[in-house]
Amino acid sequence: MDVSQYLEIFIDETNGHLQILSDCIMTLEKEPENMDVINEIFRAAHSLKGMAGTMGFKRMQRLTHDMENVFQEVRSGNMNVTSSLVDVLFQCLDAIEAYLDNVKESSDEGTDDNEAIIKELNDILAAGTGNAPEEEKKPEPVEEKRAAGEEKYPKRYLEIELSEKEKEELRDAEKKNMSIYGVSVFIQEECLLKAARAFLVFKAVEDFGNIIVYNPSSQDIEDEKFGFEFSFYMVSNEDINKIMEVAQAVSEIEKVIGEKMTYTELTAALEKREAAEAKAAQKKAEEKKAAESKAVAAPPAAAVPAAQQPAQATAKKTTPGKPVTNRTVRVDIEKLDALMNQVSELIIAKNSLVSIGATSDSGSGSANSQAFHEQIEYLERITTGLHESVMKVRMVPIESVVQKFPRMIRDLSKKLDKKMELQMTGEDTELDRTVVDQIGDPLQHLLRNSADHGLENAETRRKRGKPEVGTIHLNAFQEGNNVIIEVSDDGNGIDTESVKNKAIERGLITPEQGAALSQKEIIDFLFMPSFSMAKKISDVSGRGVGLDVVKSNIEALGGDVEVKSVLGEGSKFIVRLPLTLAIIQALMVEVRGEKYAISLGSIETIEEILPQDIKYVQAKEVIHIRGMVIPLVRLDQLLDCPPDEAEKESLTVIIVRKGDKFAGLIVDELDGQQEIVIKSLGKYINNSTKIISGATVLGDGEVALILDVNTLF
Amino acid sequence: MANNVSIIEDGKKQFIVVKIGSEQYGIDISYVDNIVSMQKITRVPKVQPYFKGIINLRGEIVPVMSIRTKMDLEPDEFTDVTRIIILKLEEHGVLGILVDEVKEVVTLAPDEIDKVSYDAKNNKSNFINGVGKNGEELISLFDTNSIIDETEAV
Repeated sequence: MDVSQYLEIFIDETNGHLQILSDCIMTLEKEPENMDVINEIFRAAHSLKGMAGTMGFKRMQRLTHDMENVFQEVRSGNMNVTSSLVDVLFQCLDAIEAYLDNVKESSDEGTDDNEAIIKELNDILAAGTGNAPEEEKKPEPVEEKRAAGEEKYPKRYLEIELSEKEKEELRDAEKKNMSIYGVSVFIQEECLLKAARAFLVFKAVEDFGNIIVYNPSSQDIEDEKFGFEFSFYMVSNEDINKIMEVAQAVSEIEKVIGEKMTYTELTAALEKREAAEAKAAQKKAEEKKAAESKAVAAPPAAAVPAAQQPAQATAKKTTPGKPVTNRTVRVDIEKLDALMNQVSELIIAKNSLVSIGATSDSGSGSANSQAFHEQIEYLERITTGLHESVMKVRMVPIESVVQKFPRMIRDLSKKLDKKMELQMTGEDTELDRTVVDQIGDPLQHLLRNSADHGLENAETRRKRGKPEVGTIHLNAFQEGNNVIIEVSDDGNGIDTESVKNKAIERGLITPEQGAALSQKEIIDFLFMPSFSMAKKISDVSGRGVGLDVVKSNIEALGGDVEVKSVLGEGSKFIVRLPLTLAIIQALMVEVRGEKYAISLGSIETIEEILPQDIKYVQAKEVIHIRGMVIPLVRLDQLLDCPPDEAEKESLTVIIVRKGDKFAGLIVDELDGQQEIVIKSLGKYINNSTKIISGATVLGDGEVALILDVNTLF
Repeated sequence: MANNVSIIEDGKKQFIVVKIGSEQYGIDISYVDNIVSMQKITRVPKVQPYFKGIINLRGEIVPVMSIRTKMDLEPDEFTDVTRIIILKLEEHGVLGILVDEVKEVVTLAPDEIDKVSYDAKNNKSNFINGVGKNGEELISLFDTNSIIDETEAV
């Protein structure tokens, strides 16, 4: 059924229903017994579910269905509205909204299953209904204390896990006629130093007694690994109110709740909760199974880790209890670009001041110039800080790009009739917004490549003694000034022999040359445009469809691609991207009086060598340093500078690195390190060799060129 | 064609008259963003030979082209009156061209401009799309767009 024509109506209506839900849930929180509101919510949720179903948005339908279940229970009076329920409901609304955003953008709901939320919903459902009778039996003060104001502060201390040792301590204390108090402390959400506040609370209450057990653990609290509330059990001879009073006296503490408990009460609560958990877990396991059987041909072997992963994720999500709300502002990227440009200008201006300071330095050593220098240094710190902040603002996790991939792999798996699964790690790695926007296509290409050409079909895999399900791994991490994204598969790997033969066949190299080529050099053929375009070759090599496009896209972003491959075991594509595009730290060098900037990120070391240290390998200049033979590049020759008259006594060599390859650049002078703003050379200059990746304006207004050393390899 | 727009369109046009070698050339003033005096041009290796390099124009990087090199004239000689005319073209951004001297600004009516016969096309006249008559003097009018097209902007 073609539903695209209804898309707009769907989006509008969903927006409307979401708004209703959001409003009503707010009201519900304040008036948990208001039947009209509950009915209204139920209707809205029901319509949402129906609409999502009609449009074929399965995930959205599932989520709304589970929400509806909860409302059903609430409506029939089997469940009470608690603040934790409301929290989860709001999460649901957020998730639905996320689906809706995806729908707006791509007419597709996206791939987020929102397992965590659904689990929480079901947990609540299980806890609220399955254990409802038990809840009735619960000791008296609970019901009475449930004044409207306290709704917001659930008794988190009831959730504390107790080890045997801790139980014993509590029991012993009770025997000694001390009281056991369960206390939960809620910190204001604006609080910046949660750990410090928690520490103050502990310090205050420990004047009255001993804290037996913390939740989260004291270590986590110290490390600020908690939401805005923490709980503990303590034993004391003092009155509970006194203890709560001192805890409440600590600033930025929103609320302290607590009560005297007996050991039996405590263990009973514990047991009850365990039972509820077990039930929820069981239910979830069943659900998992159902979901799994629906999922694409995933055999049980693969299902186990897959099932574990989301479970871990949910565990992580639920521990902080209350969700930590992010306070964010949406800003148009253009405004950020403008800000960035201004920061760039500021840095140029700052650099001018630095260079004025440096020139006036030689003349006077007065106190005045001392003060000037101090201020310059101060300014330098500020601009560097400002730059970092602006860059950070522009950073977004690559998650937004990669989250569509699991779905893509699933589809590919069906289409290619191969069993495969995608594992992703490091999705929270952050990159500049502009890079993230453009990295999607190349990555998608690489994944496709791995799925299509890398992985073998199930039968071949079985013969080779590999698991039937092929694995593609996408891993992202930061390394210095770069972000590395690796796409690896455990497939066939690249058959370098046949690639080489093809290259010889096509007359790119002679057989003699071919024999001398390293594996890497052969793989590089795959990135040649003409090479990969030929279909026949890509079939034989198993690689190469559009790899040249991938390479050029990534290079346009200032990055590069590297391939590691072992025949029969798999291949790994390593994409290296610069963290930022606009401003870099660079080493300024001089070659025949011309100034060039080299990104610090690619510089390994700087060496001073004697001319006689230069050795020759295959008529090429190399140096032998610390066990490595490094090819030398004379920058003056490379950059067509006029030849130097006199041979120097010693040569300055900058050792640069790309991946595991090194090269030594011979320069005349080093001019120190500088923060430079990268500017494009413009469209007129035909910079086909790409040695010069851009230009920058120095402090004195002079222009220096930026050398892209990656092109030297 | 865009080449002829500056001539056909309504009424009079203003041109900046510059001297390159022994000849006078006119540049349509609507393309001129700025005229700056000679400054240090940073050489960019491995690019087209007629690109002298780049300059810093108030923080912006502007490539500078030598018309002389392009037209196979003698190499540029930099004097006190050497100027860089900054042209602004919608599509490709800003470009500087080196001229020996900036003389004046003239206003030419359509009937004061003769079209160049395209039969006698040689490398040089490729950049000229008309001849203006300013009193007794003749001014070759640059076809600004073809200067750019020729550079094979990428």
